[in-house]
Amino acid sequence: MTTASTPADVARAEKARATDGAPRTGSSLGYLRHAAGKLGGALVSLFAVLVTSFFLFRIIPGDPVKAMTHGVPTSAEQLATLRRQFGLDLPLWQQFTDYCAKALSGDLGTSFQFRAPVGDLIAEKLPATLLLTGVAVVIYSALGLWLGTRSAWRHGGLGDKLNTGLALTLWSVPSFWLGLLLIIVFSVGMGPVPGLFPTGGMESGTGETGFAYVLDVAHHLVLPVVTLVAVGYAQTLLVMRSSLLDEMGGDYLTTARAKGLRDDAVRRRHAVPNALLPTVTMIFINLGHVAAGSILVETVFSWPGLGGLFYQALSVPDLPLVQGLFVVFAGAMILMNLIADLLYPLLDPRVGR
Amino acid sequence: MVMVTKAPPRPAPVAHRALRLLLASGVTAVSLVAAPGTAAAEDDKSAAPKTLTVAVSQSIDSLSPFLAQKLTSTSIHRLAYEYLTNYDAKDARPIPGLATAWTPSPDKLTWTYTIREDSTWSDGKQATAEDAAWTFNKMMTDPNAATANGSFTANFAKVTAPDPRTLVIRLKKPQATMAALDVPIVPKHVWEKVGDFSKFNNDKQFPIVGNGPFVITDYKVDQYIKLKPNKTFWRGAPKFDELVFKYYKDGDAAVAALQKGEVSFVPNLTPAQADALKTQKNIKVNDAPGRRFYALATNPGAKAQDGKTFGNGHKALLDPAVRKALFLAVDRTALVDKVFQGHAVEGEGYIPPRFGSYFWKPADGQKRAYDPAGAQKVLDAAGYRKNAEGKRVGKDGKPLDFRILCHATDPNDKAVGKYLTEWWGKLGIGLKVECLDSVSDPWVKGDYDLAFDGWSVNPDPDYVLSIHTCGTLPATPKDTGATDNFICDKEFDGLYAQQAVEYDAAKRADLVKRMQSRLYDTGYMNVMAYPNALEAYRTDQIASITTMPEAAGNLWGQDGYWSWWSAAPTASAAGEKESSSSAGLWLVVGPAAVVLLGVGLWAARRRRSTADDRE
Amino acid sequence: MTSTKPTPPSASSLTWERRRGTVARFWKAYRTHRAGLFGLAALALIALLALTAPLLVGADVQSVTKAPGTALESPSAEFPLGTDQFGRSLLGLLIWGARISLIVGLLAAALSVAIGTLVGIIAGHYGGWFSTVVMRITDWFLVMPTLVLAIVLATVMSRSMWTVVLAIGVTSWPTTARLVRAQTIAVESRPYIERATALGGGHRHVMSRHVLPNVMPLVLAQTTLGISTAILTEATLAFLGLGDPTVVSWGGMLQDAREAGAVSSGHWWYLAPPGIAIALVALAFTLCGRAVESVLNPKLGVGR
Repeated sequence: MTTASTPADVARAEKARATDGAPRTGSSLGYLRHAAGKLGGALVSLFAVLVTSFFLFRIIPGDPVKAMTHGVPTSAEQLATLRRQFGLDLPLWQQFTDYCAKALSGDLGTSFQFRAPVGDLIAEKLPATLLLTGVAVVIYSALGLWLGTRSAWRHGGLGDKLNTGLALTLWSVPSFWLGLLLIIVFSVGMGPVPGLFPTGGMESGTGETGFAYVLDVAHHLVLPVVTLVAVGYAQTLLVMRSSLLDEMGGDYLTTARAKGLRDDAVRRRHAVPNALLPTVTMIFINLGHVAAGSILVETVFSWPGLGGLFYQALSVPDLPLVQGLFVVFAGAMILMNLIADLLYPLLDPRVGR
Repeated sequence: MVMVTKAPPRPAPVAHRALRLLLASGVTAVSLVAAPGTAAAEDDKSAAPKTLTVAVSQSIDSLSPFLAQKLTSTSIHRLAYEYLTNYDAKDARPIPGLATAWTPSPDKLTWTYTIREDSTWSDGKQATAEDAAWTFNKMMTDPNAATANGSFTANFAKVTAPDPRTLVIRLKKPQATMAALDVPIVPKHVWEKVGDFSKFNNDKQFPIVGNGPFVITDYKVDQYIKLKPNKTFWRGAPKFDELVFKYYKDGDAAVAALQKGEVSFVPNLTPAQADALKTQKNIKVNDAPGRRFYALATNPGAKAQDGKTFGNGHKALLDPAVRKALFLAVDRTALVDKVFQGHAVEGEGYIPPRFGSYFWKPADGQKRAYDPAGAQKVLDAAGYRKNAEGKRVGKDGKPLDFRILCHATDPNDKAVGKYLTEWWGKLGIGLKVECLDSVSDPWVKGDYDLAFDGWSVNPDPDYVLSIHTCGTLPATPKDTGATDNFICDKEFDGLYAQQAVEYDAAKRADLVKRMQSRLYDTGYMNVMAYPNALEAYRTDQIASITTMPEAAGNLWGQDGYWSWWSAAPTASAAGEKESSSSAGLWLVVGPAAVVLLGVGLWAARRRRSTADDRE
Repeated sequence: MTSTKPTPPSASSLTWERRRGTVARFWKAYRTHRAGLFGLAALALIALLALTAPLLVGADVQSVTKAPGTALESPSAEFPLGTDQFGRSLLGLLIWGARISLIVGLLAAALSVAIGTLVGIIAGHYGGWFSTVVMRITDWFLVMPTLVLAIVLATVMSRSMWTVVLAIGVTSWPTTARLVRAQTIAVESRPYIERATALGGGHRHVMSRHVLPNVMPLVLAQTTLGISTAILTEATLAFLGLGDPTVVSWGGMLQDAREAGAVSSGHWWYLAPPGIAIALVALAFTLCGRAVESVLNPKLGVGR
């Protein structure tokens, strides 16, 4: 995974949240206040994202209008017309207020290169990215939770060492490289391994319908999902493992054991639910990260999602499209963080409601 | 479940593979698998439409012929719409398209085209001169409709259709390209309903009404474009049942798909890919002389037509001696060998040898052959001495350090950049390779010293010559011009004006050669190579296909529609049985096994946990 | 962030004595972590290779005009890892590339941690509305899609190693800032800080003489972990074509391999080694970082 946080980073960030963010008053009023605060924070962040995306992309060198007309004889008047069409002739502050007003009403402008509304372009590609990242996050969360629990319970043992070792090794692998290797081995076929999976794309495009179409898409999903899962599950595993280890030091577990409950019952009923907290919130945050992080996997597997669109938009530069995508990526992060913040006190049994 | 393009899977191995997979995945799911697997196989036998799948990577900018400029889009428009004329597959000479004949008036200002009677739009209506006249008039009157092809109609005074079979174009001044108007003619009855041409992308309603050899039937952004043959096409219907352009954003993924038989054709191979594919069964690599030239361009001091200069090109490059020395130190044969691995022809004149009638190469005395020692002498003689660190010092006393503008997306630019840095380093000249995703901004501003330049040359060379005339400089530094790299030379312009009105082919060719000679002598450009077109297709899917030119030509990006129109399927080019059945297998076996495993585990735990509770 | 106040030599030597003791204790604890030792050994080996690269392979290994082999040779006695499309030895390039990959990784992580530490200490020290504002900005950076931001920055600036360093550095500091701030607040609540302030120590003195030494262990762990992320991000940016095309780095080699079409033409020996090298170094730094971390903070449980 090439999000800029190591598994350990996230583990600590989560701990910080556990001690930091949750409301300490045990009333529903407290929760509401907490929720309102987080909601307000998210709105401020969202506004800040709008502001950044606007100004950040103004520093991209290059007059988009001149770039669009390279090689096409264009007079100053025509250039002015184009600038007017794209609203580039207005003073910066006015461009900004227009942009904000429109963005709030859901209008993200018109793409320079596709001459289509940015919102439409994003909406067109969003399902593919959601499908890919959604499936990947579900699988790697489940896998990470399961392996993390096992690891923590037998920590220090050989199984734990192999488990964490493998997860860390896979985390260290560049995702695009792993993707290319998977294509060589499982898609083209190598030695005794036949080419089992398609090399790219989301569907064969041969007009399947119904169940056959679902199968076809699922078939195309396998390799990109495997890539994302392989490089991503270490985070869930490590967070789960370390929070479970923390829980296991707790007195209540000793009490539970003293009551005569078997180890795995103690684990299942007492330790795991508590340890799940930081992990679950992290999974939500990951959902936000993965959307942006799948840029590489989407490129390698020709997946028709937002990542590819983003890269293409940057090279023009297609300002409205880049801005729109940036807002969507950052918005996803903010939304997921907000959900994590709102869920945390609800899930935490130690915080009464 | 009927599939495309898949290689001819003989029944036996398929069964074997299925069996192997089944065994491998455990027997638990046999019953689940059997049904979809066999169903797919049966479908394949009954109806086996033959699909030609082409791997593409470039996105469609628009499906509207009035807006589309990218190669993928224009290639597809060539398939979906007839143009007035086409180019002969043998020698690229203009031949009838929608027009069967064309004649200029004695004053060279009026052209009369006879429109064919046997071309119908795919919705059944007759294609007439009225459609052509409407298309041109729209481009002349609505600037939004002139976005893509406005340069063709810029010199048109008036276009009329006196009767359904006759189209008359009046020109403001003579124009030699009147038999090479690459403008898709659209059906008036469909397009006159379009409101804003700048926003209409022609991608909402399918099939798209056209009169070319294929009809566009479906399009999913960056996934595929599907076309069906036009059964009533006047030249004869294409032989495949379907043509699919399928997206592979990664070149290696596209080649892998070709090796698997997922696609029938892949363009733009790298030399390594071509060499690896050459040895493989059922794949033919087409290594054809290309239509591109690949050059070094120097900034001649960017200038606008009003005489104002702009940009920050290095002053030393205005000295012909410096340019000569730089070019003398470029080993073009080494570049062809190393960078193109032999899949290119050493560059000489401006127009690639593929266009035989216009090809020109420098005479012996004129030629700048590789001569690094000579380059040192030229610099010494011109007074660029080496300083203590061994660097050449310019007239201003500063060491000579140039920048070269490179396309970050073109591996060749980066590779050649490495060689240039070392060659020119030996001359004592520094080079900084500046790679950008989009070079147009510094380029149009004149903010570069040198740049990698390259154009695809059309059968009619007018356009690639025009971009070096003074007339294409921007009017003022604020405008944009069609100019390639700000070259403005009176002698070249004079010859250009002569050839533009020369309707005699041989005389025009001679003028074009003289222009290239002049361009060579000005020494602003160094054509390093003509890269070959490297492409490959599956011979077990495509039985025959026409290249352009027919002898040793390319398939992708032709000037006509010959490749896909002519492609004939092999007898066995049926459906994609193998992979679809394995898809069915894997997708059913996998989840089924997982579910079974999960249920088993859950049951086991359940039992244990109830045991716990009892304890 | 160096101290400007001169200190008497005796005090300094005392400090050094104490620090040496700390290091010795640290090393003793570190030694018990097998994975950490493995990581350290791997890093030492790679660092040695990178440092001696000029002797081992020489700068000429990068030269295309002096390339000894032909294009894309498979592994042989002369070229143990084969050659690239220009006929250069891939083993030589791999060793040479370690220099850039490591330098970029180190510099980017250092930059990121430096920004994070500075922001964290200042926010933690001053507190109040200033801290709130700074931490809001940090939080907001934390929710930015880092990779997207880095790509945008790398696109905006010209292609060079420094661009990559900057793009990684300025996008990945917020986690460090949060952790350092928390640590700063904890340190400043200790009584001796109050004493130092009472004795006339200014903000600067407190921050540089008392807080900084105490957050250093955390910063060290953070840097070690950050390097592996930075190396991966460098590879990612190079792979997307945003690296410096004129220098050899592992990510750049992968990009070259892809551009040459090595993947589909079956030249796995071109593709595999740089990827393995990246994974190995990233893993080694992570293992070291985890070991350092669990030595410094055994309660954290990650290294157990």
